[in-house]
Amino acid sequence: MSRLVGLITAAGEALRDEPLSRFCSGATAEDLFTECGALDAFQNASSNLYERVRAQFFLSAIYRYYLPPLLETAQGGVIPHDGIHYLLERRFEEAIRSFQQALSSDGASESLATALAAAYHGLGFQTLADQVRRSVRLVSGNRWMFRMGHPLDHPLTLHEELLKPSAGAYPTLAESTPVRMDLSHSGWSDIFFLGMDYPQGARVLNVSIDLSVRDRAGDRSPRPPIQTYLRVIDEPVLRLVSVDLKAQADLTCIDDVFDFGRDHLGLLKAAVIASGLIPAGLEACGLPLAPLLATITGKKGHGLELVSSVNEIPRGSRLAVSTNLLASLIALCMRATKQVSALTGGLEEKERRLIAARAILGEWLGGSGGGWQDSGGVWPGIKLIEGCTAKEGDPEFGISRGTLLPRHRVFDRDEISDSARRKLQDSLVLVHGGMAQDVGPILEMVTERYLLRSEREWQSRQQAQRVLDEILGAFRAGDIERLGGLTHANFAGPIRDIVPWAGNHYTDLLIDAVRQRFGARFWGFWMLGGMAGGGMGFVFDPAAKAEALTALGEIMLTTKRRLETALPFGMDPVVYDFAINERGTHAELLRGGDALLPPAYYTLRLPPLVRQPLSALTQGQRSDLALFGEATRTRPAMAPLAAVLLDHLLPHDQPKESSDQEGSLPQLLSSLSFDKVQHETVRAALLHGRVGLAHNSLPSAWRYEDVTPGEIVDARRPMPASAQTVGEEALRSGAVAVLTLAGGAGSRWTGGAGVVKAINPFIHINGAWRSFLEIQLARSARSMARYASSVPHVVTTSYLTHGPIREALNDTANYGYPGPLYLSEGRSVGLRLVPMVRDLRFLWEQTPQQALDEQKQKVRDSVRAALAQWATAAGEGSDYRDNLPSQCLHPVGHWYEFPNMLLNGVLGRLLAENPRVRYIQLLNVDTLGANLDAGLLGAHILSGSALSVEVMSRAVDDRGGGLSKVNGRIRLVEGLALPDESIEYRLSYYNSGTMWMDVDQILSVFGLSRNTIGDSARVTQAVRETAARVPTYITIKDVKKRWGHGQEDIFPVSQYEKIWGDMTALPDLSSQFMIVPRKRGQQLKQVAQLDSWLRDGSAAYVEALCRWA
Amino acid sequence: MKVTKGLITAAGEPHRRIPLQTLVDSEGVTRTVLAMLVNEIIGSGIEQVCVVVPPGEEAEYAKAAEGFGDSLHFLPQDGHPGYAQAILRADDFLGQEPFVHLVSDHVYVRGSEGNLVKRLVEIASTEGCCVSAVQPTHESSIGRFGVVGGKPLAGHHFVYSIDTVIEKPTPTVAEESLVVSGLRAGYYLAFFGMHVFTPELLTILNRQCANSPSGSTSVSQALAEIARQSRYLAAQSDGRRYDLGPKYGLLRSQLALTLNGKDREELLAGLVDLLAAHPVSNGRQSGE
Repeated sequence: MSRLVGLITAAGEALRDEPLSRFCSGATAEDLFTECGALDAFQNASSNLYERVRAQFFLSAIYRYYLPPLLETAQGGVIPHDGIHYLLERRFEEAIRSFQQALSSDGASESLATALAAAYHGLGFQTLADQVRRSVRLVSGNRWMFRMGHPLDHPLTLHEELLKPSAGAYPTLAESTPVRMDLSHSGWSDIFFLGMDYPQGARVLNVSIDLSVRDRAGDRSPRPPIQTYLRVIDEPVLRLVSVDLKAQADLTCIDDVFDFGRDHLGLLKAAVIASGLIPAGLEACGLPLAPLLATITGKKGHGLELVSSVNEIPRGSRLAVSTNLLASLIALCMRATKQVSALTGGLEEKERRLIAARAILGEWLGGSGGGWQDSGGVWPGIKLIEGCTAKEGDPEFGISRGTLLPRHRVFDRDEISDSARRKLQDSLVLVHGGMAQDVGPILEMVTERYLLRSEREWQSRQQAQRVLDEILGAFRAGDIERLGGLTHANFAGPIRDIVPWAGNHYTDLLIDAVRQRFGARFWGFWMLGGMAGGGMGFVFDPAAKAEALTALGEIMLTTKRRLETALPFGMDPVVYDFAINERGTHAELLRGGDALLPPAYYTLRLPPLVRQPLSALTQGQRSDLALFGEATRTRPAMAPLAAVLLDHLLPHDQPKESSDQEGSLPQLLSSLSFDKVQHETVRAALLHGRVGLAHNSLPSAWRYEDVTPGEIVDARRPMPASAQTVGEEALRSGAVAVLTLAGGAGSRWTGGAGVVKAINPFIHINGAWRSFLEIQLARSARSMARYASSVPHVVTTSYLTHGPIREALNDTANYGYPGPLYLSEGRSVGLRLVPMVRDLRFLWEQTPQQALDEQKQKVRDSVRAALAQWATAAGEGSDYRDNLPSQCLHPVGHWYEFPNMLLNGVLGRLLAENPRVRYIQLLNVDTLGANLDAGLLGAHILSGSALSVEVMSRAVDDRGGGLSKVNGRIRLVEGLALPDESIEYRLSYYNSGTMWMDVDQILSVFGLSRNTIGDSARVTQAVRETAARVPTYITIKDVKKRWGHGQEDIFPVSQYEKIWGDMTALPDLSSQFMIVPRKRGQQLKQVAQLDSWLRDGSAAYVEALCRWA
Repeated sequence: MKVTKGLITAAGEPHRRIPLQTLVDSEGVTRTVLAMLVNEIIGSGIEQVCVVVPPGEEAEYAKAAEGFGDSLHFLPQDGHPGYAQAILRADDFLGQEPFVHLVSDHVYVRGSEGNLVKRLVEIASTEGCCVSAVQPTHESSIGRFGVVGGKPLAGHHFVYSIDTVIEKPTPTVAEESLVVSGLRAGYYLAFFGMHVFTPELLTILNRQCANSPSGSTSVSQALAEIARQSRYLAAQSDGRRYDLGPKYGLLRSQLALTLNGKDREELLAGLVDLLAAHPVSNGRQSGE
């Protein structure tokens, strides 16, 4: 029997919890392939869900981490295109079969290993997600909603009390729900997969709290931050209103309820479905809502209104606002339809569990996903939430060890005294640091590490459980100082051991600053939720709390200002006031003059009503107006609303864009030598359909072939001694400079947040957070030390990155770099355009796209439909101006980076000050492993080529072109220039973006020489002529638009660019190509790559190339 | 246990005139609803039947159920309103004896077991406990009935031991507490409106009324208590009950009775004539 299968199926925990690494480290490729065969057969045959999943993750890890180093120089085949197609379609089993077939026929290769790793990884998560989905549907109380397929079968009717009008209006059912904070989540043990496989380790200490944001107008003492309302209206619609998001919709068709991405009301829609008001089984029935609403209300022509408010608590608070809002809305709808016994007041334990189960269902429907303890706000006070072992009769029995739903044990006053509760409130300062990040990748990492039982993380998980017990002990004893120490130790220890990315530079700076200011009066840091930077807690000596409340706001704001160009902040930090909520979710029925909705509701809803003649209004609408009028006259808190409403009604001048205002878009455009003529030319071509995504490609009649091994240099093996010697000599003589491209916005790194990637402190190495730029310079510094020579280093920037990079270099004295450092400011800039709908369609339908999980895909489709409508409404091809000025501009591609050095004189200065420089290594700021390797440099010099390009074996995620023989000439081809996507996967090698350039030869291609680069007119002419020889591509990029309190929308925009790699197509430029190892050529494009980059040894490899100041 | 008495409650709002409606039964005989119900009870061997009616309407009800002689007694519900109070009104009539109970807003079409009241009485007599007739009912309709949860009784076909009774549950509640093995998904055992009760019901109702501040209680609550404390069985029927209360309830009931009786062919012919005279319009004109 296979050793790893034996490990998975072992009865004893000691063997079952043995780490995968213990077997794999030191195993031969043959051993590993044998184990993979056995594991694959096992995962196909096993009926036990978690054993199957564990085998899938073992396979993924072996193919991703343990086999590639053993296959680095293998000459295996390319990744089959059909396999890639299956992978994108989430047909993982078929993808695996395709890759395995290629492995048998063509032999093993690093490329195929990465493809298999991706397929098993996807299969593992798909299997887990499918199981959670099945479990959610099987929870008793939820099943009927999936069976109900026709409105005539709708079984729910409204509670009679809601149908008794008072003063012309129906009463309003109002639910108030606290949010929750975790004292400890035992290393994210609340992830469903963990709770269901390892129920004994799934434990969370969770507190329901009321909140208010300090210093915000109108905020008073803490109160349940979530308020939801339901009432009958005399219109046959389902009206959904989110007062925080200023969004409202009148739904008239059942299908509208299932259209999650159309507006910002997805969460309310998910609640309507999960509560059974419009059961999931009615999806796509295509029928109108009015008859169904008449059945539910028992009144023809009547409908329902659902209103939500979260008291402007910002997004990313890590307090599970959205899950508790969902639970609150579900509770409200279930009370209204008699699915829970009490119309008002609190809930029974059985009902709270049912609502939690429905909230899980709602999360799944809406394509989001919280932990099983996130709806903790439904429960009162302080509770321990624990995983439960599945017993006979449970739907999970025989499938997973644990049940989907956990058990809640609410602590009474005997266990945790009033005094301890008060002490916690007197010591804890809750804040939102301003960062709003997607915690999804962290949760995936945690799941994967748990399943692999990675040694260090597994020990940390055990430690995290002990810490929870200690925290509970300290709380019971009322020892808050110890509690603070424990939450701090939990963050610094187990949490960061399991996932280092849970912390960041910002959080560390805050902790240091607080410690410095408060000394022993600061008792500890407390990470809330999945990661730091958003919601956080700081525990102080009660005597210092008042001071800390003010000080933390200042410290956070100062630190944010310092880092905001380097880290993705969504908003300015805020400090909360909070109190423990001892009653959980709670409802009351408001009648007559008390049936008021939140003030913001009226500013949203009333202006259009007031503009209509009274005779056109329904009785309910008239009552709303009367109620509002009465409230503004008699309730002091409502009085200011009359003025606000008036303000909404009166006409306003459109705010004019001041062209002289610093930082405004027109001012930026004029200061950045924006080429208006070029812009209008591109726009006209776009509108007339002469350019566009479909026009980027080269002719399909051309021949695109893969290169053969003899046609390129294999630099994965040691280079010949002659090359090594020549390279070393060049380095010693100071003949080499480095050119780091740092002008791009790094839009994939932060999802279009506009952060300067070069200075993003993304990794903790050698005792400090390091940025991409610092690593680049540390690498050059090491070369300088090694060859005892000077390495001039040029960093190219753009309008977006120049200022922040210059500041970062000034603040850190060039990160201690001892050599000459030049900043080459790029001044070429384009103005983004609203995309053409045909380009959006081409992007979404004609280019390979990763399909999502079923429900997420539905949401994405719905979002895309809305974006196409936005493009039409905003005007296809019009200027994109509805964002911050810097988000409306775009760099015009890295082809311009070298010409910019000519235009701005940096190259002239470099050559004048370092006349020995003959070669330049050009690389992206995110290529961290490409040092000044003497062998490669020597090979470049000896070849006599103008350009030597470093390529690497294609991994499964390497998309966007490659190295191809086009009509017999070997060159780089961009993915968007390939006429058929399948060609890309026939190309074995991918461009690493690193090139060695012979300065004089490159200059001659531009028609220039060292002697003429000072002639600006000639240089301008040369750049223009050469630019005309390389193609211009239309691309679509995502940009984030931030609004409200930490809210973000993502818009696709059109821009154009030229690519440096296309220089290899010029007939008068000689190029050679060298295959380098992945660790050298790997570019870090997405944060999600970081974890595997750390784990596969790449980070250590890079660290070894650096010399820190 | 010997069952000799029957009780029909007919005083409840809002359908209190329903028992006085006239229908043609399966045998082709024109009778009032009340007469049909009494006939069903007497046909099972019950000797005395009490009908609780609205005050002052005893004579009208007596007229609607002529021909049963001294077996029939009418009692006005002149105290508290409500279903439980209607049963309690017959306390003296029932004494400390078990009794058959039918509600008056339904008619019943017999299934393969023949007279269902007779079957209930037989089970109650043998097992010495309360027995209610139940019918598998789709979850979209359970909001109109009392619904029971329980398990099949070993050694009996279609007889269940009841664990719990919930009045008009939502499917959410039903799925949590009322799932009975052997039934199709989404179906629950809902009351048929036909029961045999022991005197324990009256004892519980009296006690619950005494303890209730409003002086009232619900029959479902009392039945839930019986299910918790005593043996309580449900007998599934393959007959059908028809609720006369809803829109077209009377018409549906009449159609059901006739389609299951000797005049079936005559009714079908009439329906065909009607359909021919009023064809379903699907865009074409009649006669095309």
